[in-house]
Amino acid sequence: MAEDQSFDLAGCLLRVRGRDQEAARQLVDHLYPLVIRIVRSHLPRRVAEEDLAQEIFLKMFTRLDQYQGAVPFPHWVSRIAVTTCIDQLRAQKRRPEFRWADLPENEAEVLQAVTADTAAVAPDESVAAKELVGRLLDELKPEDRMVIQLLDLEQKTLAEISALTGWNQSLIKVRAFRARRKLQKLFAELKKKEGS
Amino acid sequence: MKPNPPEWDRLVAAARRAPYDQDMSAPYGFAARVAALSQSADRPGLAFVFQRVSLRAMGLAAALAVAAVAINFTSVRHLFDNQAAAPTQTADDPTSELVDLASS
Repeated sequence: MAEDQSFDLAGCLLRVRGRDQEAARQLVDHLYPLVIRIVRSHLPRRVAEEDLAQEIFLKMFTRLDQYQGAVPFPHWVSRIAVTTCIDQLRAQKRRPEFRWADLPENEAEVLQAVTADTAAVAPDESVAAKELVGRLLDELKPEDRMVIQLLDLEQKTLAEISALTGWNQSLIKVRAFRARRKLQKLFAELKKKEGS
Repeated sequence: MKPNPPEWDRLVAAARRAPYDQDMSAPYGFAARVAALSQSADRPGLAFVFQRVSLRAMGLAAALAVAAVAINFTSVRHLFDNQAAAPTQTADDPTSELVDLASS
């Protein structure tokens, strides 16, 4: 998306506003990598990524008249994508309690490795680690989950998260604090159960 | 900010090494479908127009009903008063009417 410097975004937007369907198609093609990256990072379980991407693009077209150009258009679309993902996470029913015994074998091994102070996660277990991170994130509130994912997994700065979500930095810090406290509690409970 | 639990840091570091799905291109027909849907969504359907108009019509009807009661309150109250007094009157009683005629 961003690599495609030849794409005339301003001109395309003008044509889309003039109800040019071909321009709308080009705009979707142009922004798809940006949107799908956000969707894949924050996709709730049991939601198809294509459905969510479609919902984001339809919201984008519906709200196009509200875009005043104060921020670059891709940033504006990113914010729609992030808020749509949060809405989906909110709509998702709460998962049952996280239990070590319910984990697949490879994820249980990863959890064993990270809770043991010395053992390191094997490089070939990174996919299982990613799955496990997803399970743990499911235990957090959608907004807290979003913050911790952006901070820790995507390693974004507070300013970047603020631009992406529209939340001020104090709120982001509060949400990160709450998420980390919950994660700490979760690990403590897991260790306690595993020890007993 | 509160530091991460060390277990979480180790787990996230491992998760970040996971290969990322590199295919970022839109599925075939996706853009055309979304563009067509967006154009059709722009045109308000009959149901949408009905919904908008019916809600306003309902509000207007409620306001008119309240206004009508307020304006005609005195007349309505007199009507009820008259109806309450009706049993003492003899207008609809043929016998009383005959007696009245005879006495007049």
